[in-house]
This record gives sequence, C-alpha cells and structure tokens, in this order.
Amino acid sequence: MLESSKMSLLQVENVAKSFFQRGNELKIFSDVSFTVEPGELLLISGRSGTGKSTLLNLLGGLERVSAGRIVFNDRVITDLSMSELAELRANGIGMIFQNFNLIPGWSALENVEAVLMHRGISQSERLQRATAILTELGLGDRLHNLPAELSVGQQQRVAIARTLVNDPAMILADEPTGDVDPETADEILHLLLPRIKSGRTAMIVASHGLFNPALATRTANLKDGKLYL
Amino acid sequence: MTRDIIALAGRELKQHKRRTFAVISGYALTVAFLIVLAAVLLYSRVVQNITIGEAGTYFVTWLPACGDISSLSEEELAKLARGIIPEVCKEKCENCTGCNKKPVDILNEGFVINTNGTRLLTLDLVEKIRALPTIKDASACLMFRFRDPQTNTIFAVGGIDVQSPAVSTNCCAASDLIDGNFLTGSSTGRVLVDIGFAGNHGLKCGSNLVVASETFVVSGIINSGARPVKPDVIMLFADAERVINRRIQNPLENEANLILIESRDATVHGRALEDVKALMKGDSLLTTGCYFPAAKAIGLNTRLIWAFMALVAVAAMLFSARIQWASVIERRRSFAILKAIGWNNRVIILQQLAETLAQSVAGSLAGLVAGLAVLLLVPVNNLLGIDATMTRVLNPGLFAVVVAFAVTAGVLAGLLPVLLVIRQRPADALRRV
Repeated sequence: MLESSKMSLLQVENVAKSFFQRGNELKIFSDVSFTVEPGELLLISGRSGTGKSTLLNLLGGLERVSAGRIVFNDRVITDLSMSELAELRANGIGMIFQNFNLIPGWSALENVEAVLMHRGISQSERLQRATAILTELGLGDRLHNLPAELSVGQQQRVAIARTLVNDPAMILADEPTGDVDPETADEILHLLLPRIKSGRTAMIVASHGLFNPALATRTANLKDGKLYL
Repeated sequence: MTRDIIALAGRELKQHKRRTFAVISGYALTVAFLIVLAAVLLYSRVVQNITIGEAGTYFVTWLPACGDISSLSEEELAKLARGIIPEVCKEKCENCTGCNKKPVDILNEGFVINTNGTRLLTLDLVEKIRALPTIKDASACLMFRFRDPQTNTIFAVGGIDVQSPAVSTNCCAASDLIDGNFLTGSSTGRVLVDIGFAGNHGLKCGSNLVVASETFVVSGIINSGARPVKPDVIMLFADAERVINRRIQNPLENEANLILIESRDATVHGRALEDVKALMKGDSLLTTGCYFPAAKAIGLNTRLIWAFMALVAVAAMLFSARIQWASVIERRRSFAILKAIGWNNRVIILQQLAETLAQSVAGSLAGLVAGLAVLLLVPVNNLLGIDATMTRVLNPGLFAVVVAFAVTAGVLAGLLPVLLVIRQRPADALRRV
C-alpha cells in the first residue's frame, strides 16, 4: 500500500508496452505517465493503431506492462496477480469495450447480472440491481432479449449498464460512441456524465475522434509511441 | 457461490441443447457399451468355469518309468528285478519307491497308466496333495499290466477307492455302468470289466475272471468313455494290491503308481495343476481331460474382450475430450469476457466442472439404464446354451466402477481444455477470437 494522502485515484508512471512478433519487438508506446482524479474525464485520442486500446487494457489489468507501474486506489496493479486483477475489475474498475463484448447466449439481464455474481450478493438483489440499471438506461422492455436481438445502440447500453451496475471508481471506455449514431452517442454520454460530474467515478475514454473533446475535463494525444497531455 | 455455479451450469446446458444432447448421448453410449462389455467379460468367466468344469477339473499325476528296459542287458534286468539299480537308471529315482518291486515278468508286466510304464509313489504324497488348498480330493490308484500265462493275454487291472470323487471323474463312476452292479467298499473279490475287454473275452456279469491265480466275479460291465485312467479290469485297491504282490519281487508297502486328483473348482484348476507339479518335483507328468484346449480357447476370447473394452474406453475418452474441447473452444471468447468483467479462473473452472459433471453423470446414468436393458432383454444364456443367467454377473460394484470411470474421464476431458484456455490473458483472448 502507498500513502493514500498523496495519491491520485490513478497514477501511471513511465509505462511502456511492446509486443513480440516472430522474434521482433514491436514498440507500441513508452514513457507514458499521467494521473486521474475522481470526477475527471480524460480523453485519450489518437489515430487507429497508436495503442489507445492497449493502454486501456493495461489500466484494466487485462495486459501486463513492459515497463513502468500503474497505481490505482493505492494499489500497485502492475504487481498484482491475475486473480487479484480480476477482483479489482470486479470491484473497482469498469470497462466498456469498443465491440461491447456481451456474451451472445445470455440475455441483457443475464449479461448485466454476471458482474455481480460470485460476490456474495443474493440472486434477488442481483436481478433487482441489474433490472434497475437497465431500466434507467431505457432497456426495461428488453431485459430478456439476447444481444443479437438488440440494436447496436441497445447493445452498447447493455455494455454500459454492465459497467455501471457495479458502481466502479473508474470507468475505462474504448470508443464508447464509436459504433452508434450521433443521437445514440448523445444518449450514452448523458447516462455517463452525471456520474462523473458527481465525483463518484472517473472515466478514461479512448477515441480516434468520434468523442466530443468538449465533454472531457482533460485530453491527451497518443502519437508516435508517446502520450502528449 | 455454489448455487450460482449450479444455476449457471443448468442455464448454459439448457441454452445449448444440441451440444448438451450430443455430449450426454456420447456418455450414454460409452457407458452402455462398457457395461455390456464388462458384463460379457464377467459372464465369460462364468461360462469359462462351466466349460472347464464340463471339460473336467480332474487329472492324474504319475512318474514315468525309469526308461526303456529293453535297452538293459539280461544281467542288468536280473539285477533290477532284485532291486539293484543299474547305473543308467539312477538319475530318475527321486520320489520312486519301486526299484525292489520290479515285476517277475519284467518284459510283459509292470505298473502302467494305460500304455505307459510308471514308477511307484508313496501314499504320503496322496495326503500331501489332498491337503493343498486348490484340491478337492486325491486318491491312490494301482494300475498294473498282467499277462495271463494260459492265453498270453495282456490286460490292465486298476485298483481304486470306490468312495473317492476323484476316482469317479478320472477312472469310472456308477453312471458308467452298462450291466450289473457297481463296486462298493465291501466288494472284495468282485470286479468291474470294461465293455471292450468283456466283449473280447466273452465276459458277462457273474462270469469268473482269473487274475494272478485269484478268481474274481464280474460284478458289472462299464463303459467309462474318455477318462485318463482306463483299466480293463477294475477292483478294490486292497484286492489289486494283493494280486499285484503276487507278480512283483517284493510286496507293496503303502504305495501306488497313480494319484487321481480333483481340483477344488474350475477357477483354481490351473493353479491346482501347478501346485501338484511343484509337490511332485522331478519328471512327474499330469494327465488331464480337455482342460488345456478349453482354457486356451476361452483365454483367447477373454483377452480379446479385454482388448476391445480397453479400445472402447480409450475411444470414449477421446470422444468426450473432443466434444468438451470443441465446447470450450467455442466459449473461449465468453471466458475471456467473464475474466474481463471480474470473474477469476477458479470460478470459471468450477463452472466448467459443474457442466461437465452434470453431463457425464446424466449420460452415465442413462447409459447404465440402456446397458442394463440390453443385458436383461437379450437372452445371452439361451443363445449360448449355458445354464447360467446374465444376472449372475450384474452387481452394483460393476456399475459403480464403469460410471466412475466415465465420470472421471469426462471431468478430465472437460477440465483439461479449460485449464489450457484460461491461461491466456483476457486481452489476448479477446483480440484473437
């Protein structure tokens, strides 16, 4: 544990990431450092392939850094085991994926309920919380539909509901409005922004230009392997 | 958490009805096959014992004669008749008590088993053999070839204990009687005559037969069929001992030349043969019924069934592994998503375990019912003409072993692929699938 009095919600220090393909090192970015405070919305922009999704995956513990360290809520997440990282995602960090990543065979309600499973929450409470958040996002009449039976915008809202049902301290959103029309994008943002503005949560959005920068409290640009704040 | 896992497993299986049906059917077929094969295998043991029992769990042990006495010189023969052992014979004297009991007419008479010359054995050996755990009964028998000096007829006389079960299987039984009466313990001076010998010599029940100057009354005519010991004339052991003593150099003293033996049952018959052989030492011989060819043929069948069963078991393992593997691969992305939203590996493994267990248990139970139905509905014993029903080999232990095997194989087949898949980092799995 670190001294919490001096720490931000998220602290990224000199993080680098490389992939190895056929024995060759492919450097994605290096020396990335920034902090995020509660109630902040950080927009990370950049062209496709610059490593925005990879950076979000590192912050969410879905991948390992090549160098540097990441501290979230006083925990050095770059030192955590796979199961500790899973626990962190279950309790503190919510992720919204570019392609939603809903489980195709599960209904909207089941997809949202899944986040609350195996955490000692009774089934009735899980269903009640999942139903409430889906209803709040306008999907009260689509609870039992499979993802394939929903429009792209509705699928995105299920993915957001899945993230919000957990009330995470930080949301990592990869192109949250990338695949939806401007009207739906607006709706989605209006669902997310109040939570951020209330200071309950922070959000980092990765986008290649489809997200309105005016909505962000801060912006950063990932370019040529460096993050420019 | 357990309730969640069970509920989710149920939901998953219900949502993929076709896949679930295929997996459960696979297990059911496999278990049904294994149950039927295992039962057939056990049943074949029953059939084996019946067959061997019918082929005969009896045998005779004896020591072959020292050698070809025609190769001995007249001087050596004369010495041998007086009990002086020629140098060439000395190697074969272990367990033999008979060198001073050579026949008077050494070229024509002697101790035999059918056409082979034998040595003598002490009756202590009979007691030792009878005490073996694999042996039901052992009985001393004298079989001596006589020459009738009047007619020059050569014939074999057997001296038996009529009460002994080993005699009835190895030599003759009351059921062999064609005419007259069988011998009893008090039939001194009476004999049974083989049907062939009786025909050749015009003997009938009540006829007189002279053996070594002693007259015997023919009590019965027998046809003893294919038995290891087939004398022409059968009398009580004591009568035989008395007439033989007239034709040898020195009287017998608690001796016999054959030991007739009955194994405890067919299951230990092979071991009984080995036990007796070990006790007899030296160059003892065993004369059996049709045991060896029957056992060999049945053993071959048993090995074939075992091999087939092993093949089915391996095929079943591969089949279930293939289906489970396909199922896990199909769900790689789902597992990665669940990990990305906070499920840990343990929960995912337990989830898979619950599904695999449910499928393998349901399939195995269905297979058990199907296998039992086949075994109970097909009248195998009638088809084989065996007087033993299949239900004799059906027992809960057999079912438990087969079901346990199928469930274990299924769980392994289901867990191995998921253990491999969940090792991937969620980001890698989401990127690649």
